[in-house]
Amino acid sequence: MSEAATRKTIAGPSPQSRPRKKSALHRLWKQMDVQLMVWPGILLIFVFSYIPMYGVLTAFMDYNIFTAHRIFENPWVGFKHFEAFFDAPNFWQIMRNTVVISLLKFVIGFPAPIILALMLNEVRHMVFKRVVQTITYLPHFMSWVIVGGLVMSLLSADNGSVNILLKGVGAIDEPINFLSIKDYFWTILISTNVWKEIGFSSIVYLAAIAGVDQHMYEAADIDGASKFKQIYLITLPSIMPVIIIFMVLAMGNLLNAGFEDILIIAENPLLRPVADVIDVYVYRIGLQNQKYSFAVAVGLFKAVISVGLLTMANYLARRAGSSLW
Amino acid sequence: MNINIQFLKGVNAMRKRKPLLLIVSAVLLLTTVLAACSNSNTNNSQESPSPSSASATPGNTGGDTKPVSDTWVFGSEPLEFSLYFHYGWVDYKGMDDYPATKWLKENKQLNITPIQANGSHSEKMTTMISGNMLPDVIWGNRFDADIDRLYEAGQLVAFDEYLEKYPNLLKWAGKEKLDLLRSPDGKLYKFPNWYTNSSTNTAGYAINKKIYRELGSPKLETLDDLYAYLVKVKEKYGDQVIPFETDRAEDGQGVAILYTAFKEGALYDSLGKQLLAVPNGDKLTSVFTDPTFRESQKFVNKLYREKLMTQDAFTQTDDMVLEKLMTGRVAVYASANVTDKANKAHLELSKTNPEDGYFVTWPFHKAGLDKNKIHPGGNDRLGWNVAVITKAAKDPEKIFAFLDWYTSPEGMNLQFFGPEGKNWKGFDENGYPIFTEQADPAEIAQIQTDNLDIMLVGNAAYIDPAKISFEKTLPEEKKNWQAKYQSEVTWPSGVDITEYKNLTPPADSELGTTQQHVENLFLQVFAETTQAKSEADIDKILDQAEKDAQSYGYNKLLEWRTEQWQEKRKILGLE
Amino acid sequence: MRWKRLAFGDRVMVVMIYSFLILLSFTALYPFWNALVVSLNVGIDTAKGGITVWPRAFTLDNYKIVTNDDNLLNAFLISIYRTVAGTVLAIFMTALLAYGMTKTYLMGRQGYMVFFVFTMYFGGGLIPTFLLIRSLGLFDSFLVYIIPSLISVWNMIIFRTFFKGLPAGLEESAQIDGCSNWGVFFRIILPLSGPILATLGLFTAVAHWNDWFVPSIYILNEDLLPVQTVLRRLLNANIRDLSGLDSGSLSRIQNSQQFTTRSLVSATMMVVSLPIILVYPFLQKYFVKGVMIGSLKE
Repeated sequence: MSEAATRKTIAGPSPQSRPRKKSALHRLWKQMDVQLMVWPGILLIFVFSYIPMYGVLTAFMDYNIFTAHRIFENPWVGFKHFEAFFDAPNFWQIMRNTVVISLLKFVIGFPAPIILALMLNEVRHMVFKRVVQTITYLPHFMSWVIVGGLVMSLLSADNGSVNILLKGVGAIDEPINFLSIKDYFWTILISTNVWKEIGFSSIVYLAAIAGVDQHMYEAADIDGASKFKQIYLITLPSIMPVIIIFMVLAMGNLLNAGFEDILIIAENPLLRPVADVIDVYVYRIGLQNQKYSFAVAVGLFKAVISVGLLTMANYLARRAGSSLW
Repeated sequence: MNINIQFLKGVNAMRKRKPLLLIVSAVLLLTTVLAACSNSNTNNSQESPSPSSASATPGNTGGDTKPVSDTWVFGSEPLEFSLYFHYGWVDYKGMDDYPATKWLKENKQLNITPIQANGSHSEKMTTMISGNMLPDVIWGNRFDADIDRLYEAGQLVAFDEYLEKYPNLLKWAGKEKLDLLRSPDGKLYKFPNWYTNSSTNTAGYAINKKIYRELGSPKLETLDDLYAYLVKVKEKYGDQVIPFETDRAEDGQGVAILYTAFKEGALYDSLGKQLLAVPNGDKLTSVFTDPTFRESQKFVNKLYREKLMTQDAFTQTDDMVLEKLMTGRVAVYASANVTDKANKAHLELSKTNPEDGYFVTWPFHKAGLDKNKIHPGGNDRLGWNVAVITKAAKDPEKIFAFLDWYTSPEGMNLQFFGPEGKNWKGFDENGYPIFTEQADPAEIAQIQTDNLDIMLVGNAAYIDPAKISFEKTLPEEKKNWQAKYQSEVTWPSGVDITEYKNLTPPADSELGTTQQHVENLFLQVFAETTQAKSEADIDKILDQAEKDAQSYGYNKLLEWRTEQWQEKRKILGLE
Repeated sequence: MRWKRLAFGDRVMVVMIYSFLILLSFTALYPFWNALVVSLNVGIDTAKGGITVWPRAFTLDNYKIVTNDDNLLNAFLISIYRTVAGTVLAIFMTALLAYGMTKTYLMGRQGYMVFFVFTMYFGGGLIPTFLLIRSLGLFDSFLVYIIPSLISVWNMIIFRTFFKGLPAGLEESAQIDGCSNWGVFFRIILPLSGPILATLGLFTAVAHWNDWFVPSIYILNEDLLPVQTVLRRLLNANIRDLSGLDSGSLSRIQNSQQFTTRSLVSATMMVVSLPIILVYPFLQKYFVKGVMIGSLKE
């Protein structure tokens, strides 16, 4: 009784407030044009993402890849592979590294391209702006193998440029062996990452800034607002929905601390206590030995945590006015 | 009869599927069956043992009475199969990409089609297995977990029935080596590459001639000599020269080679991930408690702390090592494959002054030890990797016949010296090729380089002496630097380690996990002790490592390895 | 906006911004420039070190070797085809989906969204995907480059966020003018979304261009391999000198002893990445401000 009344007040006196059953189909029919925009996407995702998803079951099996077509012939082993991961000799070290590295990447790597985009937005000289944009996005195209080789020769204790420079200005007497000292690793990793991706990642924020209404700046200029105030009061709020969505997505990625970059930069086994993250560990223990179920189990563990983090982040974002769903 | 049963089995399996699929598959199956009929019957024998297939071999193992039509002569009919290299760093490209295969295509009706991993070999193998689309021939690591898995799943073709029909492998490799290669069911599935009876070691030390000359060519025999020399180098050249270059220490290399200098009979492989143990009487014992390892790591650590060795040992790339060698910035170079990069550097440096370059010296030893019992590297009589034939192959026997031909003197000479006619003609009384007047060393070197990737079943037992007999025909100045030092230094200083090979537990067993953890631990400890701040730290690190290793089950692994090792010794007749 | 009219604080900020951008550009440009120089220097000479901003022994031979590889030229065409076709189709399909998802009255919208987001984290892994691709007949087919990647959930979310930011008034007025939703999408939304179309188009194109994994698993036919896969083979050959090249190239290398892996890798990197890098400057016009303002005034 009261439920119906409430619904009526919400729906209001709109033409849609007809008997419910009939209206659902009718509404669906009326919005068929929009549904037809969505359905091809749903079909594609269903085929290419959902059909293969039975594969997650192999996390609970001793999966033998020779029985790929008859997956249920494999023995169920419950949480064996999860336990094997949790029982890893340095499980907590790996978790710590994963969380710390990805948090650092988030805290430093996330705002960096936004700041670059805001800076570029202040540049009035169009040629300069375009050149800087193009140049800063170059490193994205260099493979980690090449970037790694570069980092290694830059930081080499034997004639590395950084050591030559530091020695030249008298900051050090003896060359520092940067790539074998644990304390430097995170700094090196994060700065290399930021350097490599800052230009490329800033493009999407430039696109967002391009959509900001120019009249607002003109008005602010007339009011005599400083540049800094304009950024703070106009640009940032205008691109905030984009920033929030990216932040939510980034939160869901918190267990992906990186793989190739770490594998290449942390070649020295001495760095493993600070460099081994989940993906690197799985690669070393699982994939190199074709432990398929183990790798799937760890992937599933990551996914569950990721979705939890994402839901949390989305809940917070919803309160800030943006939301994924 | 056989065919009918197979067909029915197939239909049964299909019954559950959709009708269209059934029809398509039935047609496909029929085609396969028909195709099988037109071929010689041998291939069916792999599927299900039946009296008809067995008739090919049994009874006539005597060999002499064997009808000629029974053995297939390579080249008599076209042969086609697919080949896959199970490696991330090399792919088989195609018949036209190597001189040897190009010739085989034109003259022997051979066509090998490539299946390439393009750098993703483990994923590629996973998908090929799961999709049941195996290549006919796989070439890969002898101890590869995937290849063993294929064996366990019954996907490999056993060679036993071909061995006597096609005699080259048996003749050149010999029975005991093949016995070592046998799988747990007692059959032979792996065709070895570079099997040999003589030494193949290429590990050792190369000395920069110019620096050596400028420092007055001092005696360089013991570790004390080496240390004193390195100190002199450092004094004279400062940062300009790396006194002791270890190559990429993550793979052991120069650091692990020093270990062998501290004890007669110490093994380079004791520090390798496949062994990670020290033979002690009839037992394999922990490497972490090995006094020799502690002693050598203290020496290495001293070199590291005093900046007498590469500071980047654990981080540098191959390019960086080569650069230092080529610019003459290395005084002493130690590597598990010293004749490779040092050869390139030697060629470059001797261009400007023929007196410069590198020479390979007899391995260093701790004072008081017998220098002839110091072995910086080992020889594995089974060579390097293997070729296996899968059940996907239509004509496994013909493929085997080809491999057997390819590993025969005829095949080896083609790969090393080109087709008969230009560089060589006929064989001498020992069976080695007779080199012609026109034999061109540069061309021959080129042929070898070009064929390198397609030398699948190298017969080192035959070709090494043949190479030496070719070197002998050359005037002194044309002699190959690499060949010279291999025959004079590295080969004689190697030790037979065949008995220590393949002591790897199955990857997905509990011991496999232990082995992974211990291997990771060792690598870390290896780097930590090299770069430790003081000598006292080294013992501390190794004591802790021993404790950790035990908690992973290292003892069980050592016991298992000891058992396996003793078995191998029995096969080799070493008991 | 002129310098004179700026307050002191603003001037300081502008100076700081310019200096920072110049510094950043320098660090980003140098490694790339160095790779270019290395690619133009005689390999064996580069191996001696000391090559920085200018070639010491200039040569084009590295490029001759790289472009002499027949596989590479064909691979180039494949890369271009898949990038163009893959990007255009994927962007269209994803944008269409995203526009549909902006409609608050869309029935099942929340469910759809969960359906999509779920797939960003949960996947079946390599083997089930491989078996699916093969049973769909996409194995060893050019279409494996295009069809499985038509919808990117990530891009859909970004598109949706941007579409939502467009002024609602535009859409309403178009609908009053008798435009259907599809009409609005083609006539209003797409033309107004220049910057984000350019951005996500670029991201998608780069992903297509750089992908080496899909071809190495799903393609057997050498003639369908893109340039990145061929490059990767070369990079992997790094461990074993030069075995990534065909033997024709290799013989020249060994004879003259003038080439090294590093110089060839650098040259290949230039040949491979320059085409995709050069796309960006042409897209930059879509980032000019006021695109939308113009259409608003109409």
